[in-house]
Amino acid sequence: MRLSKFGFIFMALSGVVLFLPILVVSASALNGGRSMLFPPQDPTLARFGEFFISEPIWRNALKNSVIISLSSAALSVLFAWPAAYFIWKRSTALSRVIAGLMAMPFAVPPIVFGVGLGFMWAFSGGLGTIWAGILSLGALFAALPLVTISIGLQSIDDAHLDAAATMGATEATAFRTIVLPQTIPYTISGFFFAMVLSFNEFIVMFFVSSSAYSTVTLQIFNSLRNGFTPTMAVAAITFIVVSLVVFSLVARFGDLPRLMGADQSRR
Amino acid sequence: MSVSTAEGMAPDGVKETEGREPALAFKIALVILLGILCLVPFLFVLAISVGHKIEGAGWAFGFELTHYKRFLLGATWPETFQILYLQKLGYSLMFAAIGAVIAVALAFPFTYFLTRLTRRGQTVWLVLLLSSLSLSEVFIVMGWDILLSARSGLPALLDWVGFTDLMKDWGWFQWFRDIGLASPRAFKFKTSGLATVLCMSYLVWPYAVILLYPALSRLEPSLMEAARTMGARPSVVMRTVVLPSVKLPLFGSTLLLFVFLLGTYVTVTVFADPSQHTLAVSIYDSVRGSTLNAPFGAAQSVILLITAAVFLFAGQKLSNAGDRA
Amino acid sequence: MADLVLKSIRKDFGSFRAVDKVDLTFPHGKLTALLGPSGCGKTTLLRMIAGLEAPSWGQILLGDEDITDRPAYERKFGMVFQSFALFPHLTVAENIAYSLAIEGVDKRKRRARADELLDLVQMGGYGDRRIGELSGGQRQRVAIARALAQEPSVFLLDEPMSALDAKLREDMQVELRLLQQRVGITTIVVTHDQREAMTMADQIVVMSKGYTEQVGTPKEIYSKPGNSFVASFIGKANFLSGEATDGKYRVGEYLFEAPKARGFTAGSPVTLAVRPENAVINDTCACLGEEWAKTPPEERAKNVLPAEVTFVRDVGSTRDIYVKTPVGDLIVEYGAGESLPTLTIGEKVSLRLPPDELHVFPRDAEAAE
Repeated sequence: MRLSKFGFIFMALSGVVLFLPILVVSASALNGGRSMLFPPQDPTLARFGEFFISEPIWRNALKNSVIISLSSAALSVLFAWPAAYFIWKRSTALSRVIAGLMAMPFAVPPIVFGVGLGFMWAFSGGLGTIWAGILSLGALFAALPLVTISIGLQSIDDAHLDAAATMGATEATAFRTIVLPQTIPYTISGFFFAMVLSFNEFIVMFFVSSSAYSTVTLQIFNSLRNGFTPTMAVAAITFIVVSLVVFSLVARFGDLPRLMGADQSRR
Repeated sequence: MSVSTAEGMAPDGVKETEGREPALAFKIALVILLGILCLVPFLFVLAISVGHKIEGAGWAFGFELTHYKRFLLGATWPETFQILYLQKLGYSLMFAAIGAVIAVALAFPFTYFLTRLTRRGQTVWLVLLLSSLSLSEVFIVMGWDILLSARSGLPALLDWVGFTDLMKDWGWFQWFRDIGLASPRAFKFKTSGLATVLCMSYLVWPYAVILLYPALSRLEPSLMEAARTMGARPSVVMRTVVLPSVKLPLFGSTLLLFVFLLGTYVTVTVFADPSQHTLAVSIYDSVRGSTLNAPFGAAQSVILLITAAVFLFAGQKLSNAGDRA
Repeated sequence: MADLVLKSIRKDFGSFRAVDKVDLTFPHGKLTALLGPSGCGKTTLLRMIAGLEAPSWGQILLGDEDITDRPAYERKFGMVFQSFALFPHLTVAENIAYSLAIEGVDKRKRRARADELLDLVQMGGYGDRRIGELSGGQRQRVAIARALAQEPSVFLLDEPMSALDAKLREDMQVELRLLQQRVGITTIVVTHDQREAMTMADQIVVMSKGYTEQVGTPKEIYSKPGNSFVASFIGKANFLSGEATDGKYRVGEYLFEAPKARGFTAGSPVTLAVRPENAVINDTCACLGEEWAKTPPEERAKNVLPAEVTFVRDVGSTRDIYVKTPVGDLIVEYGAGESLPTLTIGEKVSLRLPPDELHVFPRDAEAAE
């Protein structure tokens, strides 16, 4: 179907507004001075060196961000897999409780969850440890792999499991040879969703990290009093590039429209 | 984003009977673990909100309603009555409501056009949308901060194209000053309610698209074609076929984004005037910031939580009623 | 010689009784078709035989062995599913060798067996293809090969032709029948298509509403339907409602003889059935005259009805003549080679229902529907 002229213009304008702030930030990274000016003054790439190499503050923050986002996404998938599988196998009260628990942090303003986690970790003595951060974000974003893996499990034809059974596969064998291979793309998508969002997460991390360590987003927020600097813009570029690459990979190896809930029958 | 639960799809039969005992133990372990991570934090908030404040950022378990009283009536009540915190809640609700409505209103036509594209076109757009959606609030605020800054943003642009002088010549400039969008010499968007709402809408616009996407992409094209063959113009098709069939998703998305925006923090601290700071900022100040009063911060969180719950519950009731009607 | 035997099988889904009182024997090496309209319980029955559903009551025996409680993965009855259920993440050869792979058979032997089976279903050389690259007919062949790979004691097929187009379906029915005879395996096919059942089966089980209505060879089922449901479901049939009189049957004011029918007590309600190709049209008949009308029924020629032609359909291979009679509308079918007077619409003719071709069934509340 072709778009009307109005539709085309509307989408184009939306795209421009969507990318304007990102574009402006990216350009600001080239500033030679300490101020965020647009268009940039004395364009230089020195800020990239500062962010990735020469300034330990940013290097450490980036390292923390990477460790936390990868670990917490892996944890989210570990939480989500059994939950999704139980719900799919047989929807019992217990499996619905599991799904409800995982949806909870998603359904409330994130600041409240952050405050609560902060209290809990302070009480248990875990506040400020990197583990507290990983567990917190793992719980916060477990709902994402839960959704993608559930979609993947629902896409498995029941007849495939019956067929496997008539060919001698026990439930465990069928899980290993049929269910797991067919849901791998969905699991990876879920991992990526959780990873990118953890990478960018700010408010929950803020309450659970204390000031023991910081991630890139925290570091930016902490320096906010002194205004934004071009080095922070380099961080912004890094993050947007990571997101674009990851979601392009999801789109390349999975069916993104279906993951987002599009009707499968229409192309 | 919602968690879809698959209703028991496995047929009764042989395959379930084995290995149920270890599975149950495993399930219970999972419930306990998730309970600790997803539920206990809220219980802590609740417990501390009625706890006792210890000077220097501490707190002790207890039961007192001081903090709720301070929120609802002021610390010095009954001598004086203070609505400072209710006002903050009011700003939270106002900014979140306007931001959510604008985002959904702009996302709806976009999503409609998006679902009319080819599968490939949709995929490309979805990658861009998801990238924008996942981008941290701090980066988005950074972008708008530059776009709205006096030196290199929109005010400078308006100056440069001569709009500022034009407004001054026409004598309309004073009006912009009155509503707080201009300094004596030039336009000024930081700090203003406009900038806050703008940034908030931008923040959740990609979410709105993603939330509306399933409903609109499942819209049967033959429905619209049928309406067209019966003589309906595009605007009439939109009003009589498309809108009624996505009424509930539209309402639901607005509600979800509204609740999400209630907790916005960075946007408000950067773009809103201190007199218009929201409850989220106040919670931060109490828990980690300047005022350090954990129980009061917890009480404010509980009130924010209750507000969110009330709206979600009322929304559920309304949409159920709308469904039946 | 291990026959598969079902003993008083029943299956309930909640309060819904899908299958009830089923006693059947599937003879070794023969092909049995479970035939019935959708919802008659035939697929549920097949799934219970496969071990995918547990019967609520009854026993399943393979030879002398009770296999009722044996799970599907131990029975290992090869099954072809309606959707074929080929695994999209595996190649054609990997699909076929799935049962061998999970048994731990080594890779070379697996491949050899897969190739052998591909040759059997005339798909040699397709082993490395992806499932997505195959046409519907090819998928069916792969599904059949896969089900046979484990050398099952019983081979089950659930509506195996329903995903194929009409032309291919007829070819595959013949091919599947020839393959089954070559392999000589006990086979059960679920179908709702009576032509398919009659093409392939040694034995047909007609099912309706969870019960078996009749069991017999295709020829028996067609020429001696046990009740009006079978008569209407297998081939076409005209039905007349009447009642038994002393050794004859009365419909309206006309009398019929049916020597092959079992005796009915006088006065009991009956349904008369005749196949369209067995009714005979005659345009010169005494029954058309005034005089005949005045004759009392007992003295008239038996098995004859006056009729009026309402529509003639010539589809090349057959001609269908639609007629109206005082006791209801009927259809008569003539083959292309059979001689038939030229008929015009509105023409008065006589209709003879030959006594030997007339089936009589008791008429109960259910059959009267």
